[in-house]
Amino acid sequence: MKPKSQNTSPPKWAVRFFRWYCNDHLSEAVLGDMEELYERRQLKMGKRKADFLFLWNVLLFLQPFAIRKESKSTTYNTIAMLENYFKITWRTMSRQKMYAAIKIGGFAIGLAACMIIFLFIRNEVSYDKRFAGSSIFRMYNDFGGTTPAKWTSLPPSVAQIVKNDFPEIEKTARLIPQKWFNAGSNLFRRDDRTENAYEEGFAYADNDLLEILEIPMVYGSKQTALAKQNSIVISKRIADKYFPNEDPTGKIIILNENKTRPFVIGGVMEDFPENSHIHFDFFITLSGKEFWPGEQTDWCCWNYDTYIQLRPDASPEALQKKLISVRDNYLIPYLKKNGDQSVSDIKQYHAFGLQPVQDIYLNTGGVQDELRHGDSRYVWLFGGIAVFILILAGINFINLTTAKSANRSKEVGLRKVVGSGRGYLIRQFLSESIVYSFISFAIGIMIVVLALPFFNTLSGKQLFIPWATWWWVPMLAGAVIIIGVLAGIYPAFYLSSFKPADVLKGSTSLGSKSSKLRSAMVVFQFTTSIILIIGTFVVYRQMNYILTTKIGFDKEQVIMIEGANTLDKQQLTFKNELLQLSSVKSVTISDYLPVNGTTRDQNGFWREGKTKEEKGVYGQKWIVDEDYIPTLGMKLTEGRNFDIKLASDSQAIIINQAMVKEFGFKNPIGERITNNNGNYTVIGVLENFNYESMKGQIRSLCFVMERGGSIVSVKVKSASIAEDIQSLNKMWNKFMPNQPFRYSFLDERYARMYEDVDRMGNIFAGFALLAIMVACLGLFALSAFMVEQRSKEISIRLVMGASVKSIFRLLTQNFVTLVLISFAIATPVSWYMMQRWLEDYTYKITITWDVFILAGLISVVIALLTVSYQSITAALANPADKLRSE
Amino acid sequence: MKGTYIGEFEELVLLTVGILFEDAYGLAIVDELEKKTGRSIMISSVHKALVRLEDKGYLKSQMGGATQLRGGRDKRLYTLTQSGKKVLSQSRELRNSMWNEVPKIVWGTGKI
Repeated sequence: MKPKSQNTSPPKWAVRFFRWYCNDHLSEAVLGDMEELYERRQLKMGKRKADFLFLWNVLLFLQPFAIRKESKSTTYNTIAMLENYFKITWRTMSRQKMYAAIKIGGFAIGLAACMIIFLFIRNEVSYDKRFAGSSIFRMYNDFGGTTPAKWTSLPPSVAQIVKNDFPEIEKTARLIPQKWFNAGSNLFRRDDRTENAYEEGFAYADNDLLEILEIPMVYGSKQTALAKQNSIVISKRIADKYFPNEDPTGKIIILNENKTRPFVIGGVMEDFPENSHIHFDFFITLSGKEFWPGEQTDWCCWNYDTYIQLRPDASPEALQKKLISVRDNYLIPYLKKNGDQSVSDIKQYHAFGLQPVQDIYLNTGGVQDELRHGDSRYVWLFGGIAVFILILAGINFINLTTAKSANRSKEVGLRKVVGSGRGYLIRQFLSESIVYSFISFAIGIMIVVLALPFFNTLSGKQLFIPWATWWWVPMLAGAVIIIGVLAGIYPAFYLSSFKPADVLKGSTSLGSKSSKLRSAMVVFQFTTSIILIIGTFVVYRQMNYILTTKIGFDKEQVIMIEGANTLDKQQLTFKNELLQLSSVKSVTISDYLPVNGTTRDQNGFWREGKTKEEKGVYGQKWIVDEDYIPTLGMKLTEGRNFDIKLASDSQAIIINQAMVKEFGFKNPIGERITNNNGNYTVIGVLENFNYESMKGQIRSLCFVMERGGSIVSVKVKSASIAEDIQSLNKMWNKFMPNQPFRYSFLDERYARMYEDVDRMGNIFAGFALLAIMVACLGLFALSAFMVEQRSKEISIRLVMGASVKSIFRLLTQNFVTLVLISFAIATPVSWYMMQRWLEDYTYKITITWDVFILAGLISVVIALLTVSYQSITAALANPADKLRSE
Repeated sequence: MKGTYIGEFEELVLLTVGILFEDAYGLAIVDELEKKTGRSIMISSVHKALVRLEDKGYLKSQMGGATQLRGGRDKRLYTLTQSGKKVLSQSRELRNSMWNEVPKIVWGTGKI
């Protein structure tokens, strides 16, 4: 029973709580009583019980007689003080309109940028989020080797094989998203109409895909919509367009005038949400489909994406390891049977992986497919830039508030003299900055409303302000307070630290004290801006380089007429009639063109007779006609073009330099190569041209001559493209009155391959502009402040005979020095960053010094222009005006 | 008569303050009351009564007499004011006169 000296006090927090609510009259005495009682009880019944009873007592005192009375006068006082704070804020704002406008304007711009980027990022990460947590995956190939690659297309039988072999797989479904047979785009009509329309967004799919991806159906059922052969599911959008106000299930449609194989609509699905990795309008069933005899069981041709739904309790990691058996039990035996030399490579490097569906769009992990993707690096980059712009705006706020503190010092001094504590002053300045933040947010939102359509076209998105969601307004409110406090906290502490005696005596010159910090902040602002300027330059130059550099073919003045497969046997006649037109230089018909969205065809090639001894060369085999090379302005480095008159040219092949290199041919002309389907003689070597994005190396490719294709490419002579289009259209209508005339320009299609670079450049430029604007606003205000502060000095200098020029120099050189320092910091940083960015491209510019010089010049000039207005006004002012009022 | 009315518990507290004389503070009053009445008394109700009695002007208080036992905190020591003493004697007189008015016969027949 000895009292433990350490533990004899009741719980601290309970004491604190009591002290908090109890009025001063009682608290000390009652607490004493309670502690005395506690001590007694502790000895009698132990600490725990005593603690409990103490707490009980504390709670029992929670009665009106003991509770601290917020005297009414204090409440009034708080409100009155707040009113006063707002009044003072309003007065300061209206007294210094320019400074207030700059603080608010800069903030509003920064906030608008942040909000837009927030919406952008939210959209990017929202793709397929509804599948998060469900066990739906897409299979991919994971090839290690010397040229590692991950891609999604698999042989047709894999889906069934894995479903049979692994009980943890509940469902599998295949999808052909790329242009292949009827996948891609088609001419479309109801069988009871004659007019064809062109539609895009066709894909082949298994019925189970509807169930795996949980695609909601408007008509028909998920279980059966694609079950029957030749059935097709259309989206609601298409149904509304062609079958308004009716249930199209069971109706018949014709694709590409192919009346021998009509499709029956099995159901209508809801349109895919915008943030889904696929956006098809048509699913053609794969049930019972065989593209050529034996195709479904063959391992030759890999065209199918395979989706897998696991049982909820199954582990994807474990399954991924087990999938290796697909390779060992099916793929390798197939390769061995064919004597393929790549068996050892496959054995060593090839594996299968599972990619969660919600990662397909953004976190691709290097898995390549035919779909449109986001880029997680850009998401981070843009987020970072937006935050930086906000920081720049915050710096303006801090700089201006501290710089102008001289004006507030008397107020602070007086408030302190009449009894305001530091806490009250801090509260005052914080509430002031929250007011600023609130106004900035209001203006920022207006800017967002105005700028969002523009940003949407720039980024190819459909962003909107989510007013309807429950969290948007509270989030804004929270952000107003947080940003207000963050920006205001330093000025609040700085301003409230003034000593009343000093400021009222007027002995300290305020505002100049923290000028070092201000300079550092200006340097930070300009460093950021210069980095963005340099970045923009480099992106634009690279873009320009890609679009104008020697790409290996001539994309100018080539018009592509699409849908020509429907011409059928009239194709040649059409071609010949086109050639009769005076403006047409040459015409070629081929599905294969060096721009995205045209057909691609991967093939393996071997030297004749060496298929079992050597590893193959994999490359594109393009089917072209004899006019292809001249029409597209490609160059042969050796040999000759196809000749229609030579019967033997049906066995001829033209290969590109990359293929020559890969085969290791010394004298390629006359070499014999084979792709297992046919044997070819090399008759020419083609200069390398770009047919994929410039990010990669140019890979092996060859041409063979055959008839047929759906794109007629016309090279025209004149520059009056509009007239050419008209005459081509007339010709088309003569042949195909019921079909839309569809055309595009080769150069535009080529430019579209680099849309992402273009976008990046535009967005970058936009941000650079914003950053510079915000930084300049700050600089403008700072220079104004400096001129104001030194106005007497300037006047005296002027009176003593200083020239306008020398005054100008005096006032500007400080700022120019700061900009030069920023430039020195920004140069290496941006050089490194842009070097990293360019690493993606095989064909890239070298960053030259003129970029930096130009960016440096621009920033100095902008800074000078910003500062000079104030400086010149100061230098030209009549000194008497300033000095008179002493 | 509004100002002079006091409840039973208040009267007990006032009397206890009188009994304890120089050392009448919250906990001591609780102890004394418990001893006298044999009831368990909440410390909060005693303080509540003390506050009311002070408001009515029957008690006055001052701080003092800290001891080690109570964490070095002062006690609020209560003493009776003139009007406090008066209200006690008034209430006693009232009772006495009423006692006297009860006929003796009542006491004789009933068991107490």
